[in-house]
Amino acid sequence: MKENRIRILYIDDEIHNLNAFKASFRRSYEIYTANSAQEGKQLLKSIDVHIIIADQKMPVSTGVEFFNEIKDTLPDPMRILLTGYTDVEDIIDAINKGHIYSYIKKPWDEHELQRTINNAYEIYTTRRQLKEKIIELEKINDELNRFIYSTSHDLRSPLMSVLGIINLSRLDNSVTDPNGYINMIETCIQKLDGFIQKIIEYYRNSRLDVEYEKIDFNHLINDCISSFKHQNTSIKFQVDVEQPVDFKGDTFRISVILNNLISNAVKYQKPDETHPMVQLSVKVEPHKATMFIIDNGIGILSEHLNNIFKMFFRSKNNNKPGSGIGLYIVKEALNKIGGTINVESKYGEGTQFEISIPNRNDFDT
Amino acid sequence: MISIPDLRIILIDDNEVDLMLHEKLISIQQISRTVLSFNNANKALEFLSSNISLPRIPPTVILLDIQMPEMDGFEFLEAFHSYPSKIKSQCHVIMVSSSLDYGDISRTHANPIVVKLLKKPLMASELTSTIAGIFRNE
Repeated sequence: MKENRIRILYIDDEIHNLNAFKASFRRSYEIYTANSAQEGKQLLKSIDVHIIIADQKMPVSTGVEFFNEIKDTLPDPMRILLTGYTDVEDIIDAINKGHIYSYIKKPWDEHELQRTINNAYEIYTTRRQLKEKIIELEKINDELNRFIYSTSHDLRSPLMSVLGIINLSRLDNSVTDPNGYINMIETCIQKLDGFIQKIIEYYRNSRLDVEYEKIDFNHLINDCISSFKHQNTSIKFQVDVEQPVDFKGDTFRISVILNNLISNAVKYQKPDETHPMVQLSVKVEPHKATMFIIDNGIGILSEHLNNIFKMFFRSKNNNKPGSGIGLYIVKEALNKIGGTINVESKYGEGTQFEISIPNRNDFDT
Repeated sequence: MISIPDLRIILIDDNEVDLMLHEKLISIQQISRTVLSFNNANKALEFLSSNISLPRIPPTVILLDIQMPEMDGFEFLEAFHSYPSKIKSQCHVIMVSSSLDYGDISRTHANPIVVKLLKKPLMASELTSTIAGIFRNE
């Protein structure tokens, strides 16, 4: 019971005020008193109080001076100033300098003072709970990130062993497999690995510091295209890069964005399209780069357009396998580097993504 | 096929399946007839330090995994760094990992003892050409 009582330190150079305060409130609160700022400071070294009440007019140092002195070392206790005068200057000074919660006019009204103390304590506990919650959340967030990282690695390592075994079985021709089961296993493993890689991508985007370096878009886009070309060799890629000035940006995040969008453009093609194409254009200006990724694929239903950047959203009207995380990662990566994305799509005709990324190049140095 | 008669390969990997896979790959590709497998980096270090009494250290390629319990690949390299150059000069380290961690990848590039980082699953052609590349340069 005693543990839960509000602890108050009251500092006043007039002993009869200290006694009067004790007489009125000792049943409700745990009270400590001091008759100078110096003595108050000494007491605070050994006792953890919730509320400090100080008289303004004291010899040596005033209440405001006292609060101002302790506010850095003891930021948590709520501070209440008692003053005999309604001196506006004093009050303004107190609030600005000493971070004071409230001031009470002397002689105090017992109910008013009690109300003020209770309100101050409520704020004190709310602040403390908020601090505890922040620490707790930071810890959980950190643990979650480490969990994602180690799980991804631990899941991936046996998968790579399975792929290694498949490679070996082909190399030494030791398995007769007329129905192509091994190929099916390989396809499934690769799909699973693709999803794990997406999770790692998400993890890296959320954790890694943003780093700016020079980017050659021709090079970057051709790198991306070459890793997807083999998935659908009939697609015609049109690349148009206009880069008259240097561009600086975060290579990892920009390639994550391009990889995901190009991968989608390749994956969501119409099966009966005779001229499947993916158009990529980049225009670099001193302040930004604008990119278009346009395809003539299956398109997105207009009622789905608002949801495509949400985590794990998948359009129901296509039969393509997807994790529903790609565009979410794109959006998160753009948030990290201050970019924007717009999408226009007509169902059955194709999709166009427009991306704008700030150019971090400093042209005058 | 690689024709360095006394070439030996040391495999260090905590994953028994991967050790077996890499042994098979080396024998199918006829890279070397001497393959020594260790599922623990400490044991490999012990073995290497016992080599000091040999009159001549044979050319050695070490396939080193990164993530291992107890001693990981980088800790192995740190310890190996202090070995006498009689041993070190004959050893060529290829790191092998399924890691996609950018930090791991740049750490291997920064380490002068490491010839190359190969990703798992290890491809027969990549392994052969990397090892051939090591001895072509000598």
